Amino acid sequence: MILGPGDVKGDVSRGADVVIIGSGAGGGPIARELAGEGYSVVVLEEGGYFTREDFNLDPADSYMKMYRDACQTITLGVPFILLPLGKTVGGTTTVNSGTALRMLRPVLKKWHMTHGLTDIAEEELNLIYGHLEEFLFVKRADPEVAGKVAATFLAGAEKLGLSCGWLPRNAKECEGFGSCAFGCPSGSKQSVDVSFIPDAVKSGADIYTRCRAEAIRVKGGRAVGVSGYFVDPVTGRPDGRRIEVEAAVTVLAAGAIYSPYFLLKQGLANSSGQVGKNLQIHPATQSVALFDEPLGPPKGIPQCCYVDEFKGEGIMLEGGTVPPEIHSLALPFAGRRNASLMTSYPNMGIFGGMVSESDSWGRVVDLHRPGYRPGMLYTLRGRDVGKAKVGTVLMAEIWFAAGAKKVFTPFAGHYELAGPRDLRRMERSRVRATDIFGMSAYHPLGTCRMGGDPEWSVVKHTCESWDLEDFYICDGSVIPSSPGVNPQLTIMAMAMRCAGFIDDRLSASS
Amino acid sequence: MKAVSRQQLQELLAAYVGEPEGLPPIDPDGQADFIAEYFAAGAPELKAVFFLCNLSLRILSFLLEGRSFSRLDPEARQELLNRIIASRNPLIRGIGVLPGLPLLMSYYRRPDVAVPLGFDAAALKKESDLRVVSRDRDLPPKQEDAS
Ligand SMILES: Cc1cc2nc3c(=O)[nH]c(=O)nc-3n(C[C@H](O)[C@H](O)[C@H](O)COP(=O)(O)OP(=O)(O)OC[C@H]3O[C@@H](n4cnc5c(N)ncnc54)[C@H](O)[C@@H]3O)c2cc1C
Repeated sequence: MILGPGDVKGDVSRGADVVIIGSGAGGGPIARELAGEGYSVVVLEEGGYFTREDFNLDPADSYMKMYRDACQTITLGVPFILLPLGKTVGGTTTVNSGTALRMLRPVLKKWHMTHGLTDIAEEELNLIYGHLEEFLFVKRADPEVAGKVAATFLAGAEKLGLSCGWLPRNAKECEGFGSCAFGCPSGSKQSVDVSFIPDAVKSGADIYTRCRAEAIRVKGGRAVGVSGYFVDPVTGRPDGRRIEVEAAVTVLAAGAIYSPYFLLKQGLANSSGQVGKNLQIHPATQSVALFDEPLGPPKGIPQCCYVDEFKGEGIMLEGGTVPPEIHSLALPFAGRRNASLMTSYPNMGIFGGMVSESDSWGRVVDLHRPGYRPGMLYTLRGRDVGKAKVGTVLMAEIWFAAGAKKVFTPFAGHYELAGPRDLRRMERSRVRATDIFGMSAYHPLGTCRMGGDPEWSVVKHTCESWDLEDFYICDGSVIPSSPGVNPQLTIMAMAMRCAGFIDDRLSASS
Repeated sequence: MKAVSRQQLQELLAAYVGEPEGLPPIDPDGQADFIAEYFAAGAPELKAVFFLCNLSLRILSFLLEGRSFSRLDPEARQELLNRIIASRNPLIRGIGVLPGLPLLMSYYRRPDVAVPLGFDAAALKKESDLRVVSRDRDLPPKQEDAS
């Protein structure tokens, strides 16, 4: 059952075979697999439960309901980077763009060689990816519904002879309502809330929503469950009711920001000192293009095509149209200048470029902020600033090849590019991290990394903690380095593996 | 919206949003309600930062223009903001950029603004409600087709 605050009377104290904290890309698949095997599964999810009826294509409304801190989560460092995190049943997948890519092949080699993860075999991983792709109806975006912005950008990339194409997506019969990041209103996107969670519930799992896990209960070096409390849907503050779940296995799947924060607060599973470190985020810039003719945003699939010509160098371009209220924020102008461009919104396209392989590492720390909020420290290093610039220049070049009149970038001194001359000037210029007007990132990873050495990693390849028995961590935080692409499929793959090991563990003990 | 006074909010909204041709004017009261809700739902620091940015903007107005922000004419306020946003000093730029977040959102999310720009969320919602997407491997016909 999915239990909302109204379904729970007073405190809850109960037992289960497995208790999972978080219902996103990591927690959801584990809940489904283990409930499907007949284990009793309890999931604690801090966010609320929303369905397609609630998804009303209203960005701000969805920020306030389904994103942590109303989507105002920002890294501290240079530049400030917006790092949105989902907080709802399905986790961030409920509000993500639905790109479903396997990690780049060389990355697994790197994991073998530098992280001691030789137990993760390529064949095994490919089998899991294959299974997930079938389960989530992954297929390439349909050009018929992709929308004109994407088609125009791809045409520009093709004109320049760049490697590009339509992205694989976990969406079934998508008709391009342009609203993936605010909850899919047609139920097409196969996010965890509509795929893994319903199956888990059918198999008997109980999902407690608006329920924040507070601490792992530990007895004799083993995790024996979780304690937490229910939170008020509006204020997010404790509403006075508590929950205690005693379980044979405890799984932390609160995401790459909140899992380490949870552990740091409790001072747990950190003999390596690596908890919270090694934060990777795939920092991204955007480019906005103005055309003479209408492109009709945001109807279409917001993120449906890519240019991966420079993926080897750690630069991936992936598209994204957005409704006017978000679009206006991408323009580095105020007043009349912003207004005159916004009246041309129908003639504008927007695209994103991410640094998919970076040298910058951040950190999650407990800064004792008010409420339940970690600090995220992250500064973009020199080489990555260069990559962000190269990606932005490349996007501008593609837009111009596609016929754009003007392109707007987030680099101070180069906000407005009127043509190839401005482009060359930007290309030749030296930019600094401090020059970037606005950056965002969507893929936090690595803060409880897995590895073969307990001195350098937080969990084993099975996702079990090196320090605490019967305690597993499985979400973006265990991914030891960037998969080179959007990470949800890889996180889910690790969750499927992890569920297998937990099953082994539970069946051995019974 | 306690972070700034009503008059200051009105000045800021006008300076950030401008007067987009063919679109309705700003609605300080209605937009203030949204901004208050948005701040209440977010991290408490953001509201404080908004307050600080407003204050700093007013100090910068004295330093750069020799007059208070309120006494600049609307055009000059916008120009000042654009100068600040174009600064290569990230702290100064931040003073101009951050307040834009709730202010611009509060305007462009209004249906009477978004619909003329081609984004009719209510119509799209109605259209999406007609779709039936099941997780079955064999698709049922679309509801409209079936009728
Ligand atoms: C706008 C956006 C677009 C994206 N697009 C894509 C894309 O197209 N493709 C892709 O591969 N990736 C995409 N991503 C990233 C992807 O969605 C995430 O990498 C993935 O969901 C992370 O999975 P996770 O399990 O680590 O965390 P999450 O999915 O975030 O799940 C963690 C859950 O834990 C809950 N939680 C946290 N703390 C507690 C606690 N103490 N108690 C109870 N519950 C708690 C949270 O509320 C949350 O629901 C996107 C992200 C964003 C923000």
